[in-house]
Amino acid sequence: MTNTLHRRGTPNSLKNDYVIFCTMAKGINSKGSGPKIQEFIRICLKYNPVNMGDGYLGNILQEDVGVQKFLADRADGEGAAAVFTDLDTLQKVIDELIRADLGISINVSGLLDEVQACCRKAGMERHSAEHSLGVWGAKDRLPERDILDVNTLCGHGMVSFNLIRKMVEHIQLRRLTPQKAANLMAQCCECGAFNPVRAEQLLEKMVRREG
Amino acid sequence: MEIDKEKCVGCGNCHAVCTMGVIYLDEDGKSAVNQDECVECNTCYRVLRNEGYPPWFVRILRKVLSTFRLGYLAEVDVCPTGALTPPELEWPRNLRAAFSDPTTIHAGTGIGGRGTEEIKSNDVTGRIRRGEAGIVVEMGRPGIGARFRDVEKVAMALAPLEPFFEPQNPVTHLMADPKTGKMKEEVLDEKVMSAIIEMKTRLERIPKILEALEKVGREVDTVISVGVSSKCLPDGSVPHEEWVRKAGYRLSPNGKTNLGMGRPFFKED
Repeated sequence: MTNTLHRRGTPNSLKNDYVIFCTMAKGINSKGSGPKIQEFIRICLKYNPVNMGDGYLGNILQEDVGVQKFLADRADGEGAAAVFTDLDTLQKVIDELIRADLGISINVSGLLDEVQACCRKAGMERHSAEHSLGVWGAKDRLPERDILDVNTLCGHGMVSFNLIRKMVEHIQLRRLTPQKAANLMAQCCECGAFNPVRAEQLLEKMVRREG
Repeated sequence: MEIDKEKCVGCGNCHAVCTMGVIYLDEDGKSAVNQDECVECNTCYRVLRNEGYPPWFVRILRKVLSTFRLGYLAEVDVCPTGALTPPELEWPRNLRAAFSDPTTIHAGTGIGGRGTEEIKSNDVTGRIRRGEAGIVVEMGRPGIGARFRDVEKVAMALAPLEPFFEPQNPVTHLMADPKTGKMKEEVLDEKVMSAIIEMKTRLERIPKILEALEKVGREVDTVISVGVSSKCLPDGSVPHEEWVRKAGYRLSPNGKTNLGMGRPFFKED
């Protein structure tokens, strides 16, 4: 449901960007999984994620979804994702998920070494890992790096290059604050993997640069 | 996506939101969609709130404002008159929505999004075992989109290396012959936001596959995001790292970690 593998940025900027998500194996453990996903959501919500969602319901920043609806409307076989901006909180979420022993797959997207350290602190070794090897092919068709850093915050690429440019312009014209612009872009990302806090920082950086 | 010309007031909000940048202002002052380039992601329709104003009201308001040399500027996240109209899609155009709109479920796999579960449920399924590597080749990402003609080019370049194309992946479903990577003829001109060729292979085959991928990457008119995964060793180390480095490629500092909390439904080797 999320393709958070290819988030771009410097290691320093990725330090405040962790997506934790649960995934059901279709036809294997998806049946009866609704309450388990609900518990995953409840645990994540306890630690105030900056975003949360799934591809079916949308994300909690969308007006027609919200936290309560997101928690309540659970069905079997759907996953969910939550975004946190620091490792300490992620550690607490992982510790609590271990205690809850839901028996479903839990993944984290983020700096791999940091996530591994979290696993070890929690007394376990990671099961599988996936790296991005970056972008290949017709790279000359891509925009500048800053735009890509924001665009890849949505796993499905729903935040267009032009919208990011427009948001920068609107901040420069004081029609929007960076926070409002980031939240507006977050509406595009259905599965809730978009990190509005990091997006806000990236927008501010772009506005400063364009002076 | 279609735009109802009777309703459109040409505010241009949908132009920026369009993921492919293919909505433009037509000669009549109203927005239009380049249908050949649209991937039916429905982002414009979902994100821009329909304010529901009658078009005549917005036009009059605009005329009145212009009398006083003022401009009409709609809020950035609205379609003032609800002019965006998602069409009923038929085969093969409906593939565009299936591969571009994350709220659409793939008919073949029953899963939303672009791919399958790959390593995300590996602790439960055992899909990628010791000694194996999962490789995901996402065509069109980030933000460019891809035609299945290009997807076929890449799949056919990789097929001679005999990877195991994941049968539950929606791109594999569209292959006329997974042994050759040949896609079904009728889908070749369809454009999607991105499509993931998903395969697994032996770890030692990684360099050959990446070499072939780099070569064919120079022949396609889109971008390709590449990912490699494997099951970790008992000490937590990642077996594919060594093979990717040997092949001369750089690994990202970030990535995806399956924590291993799922209850396995398979027998370990």
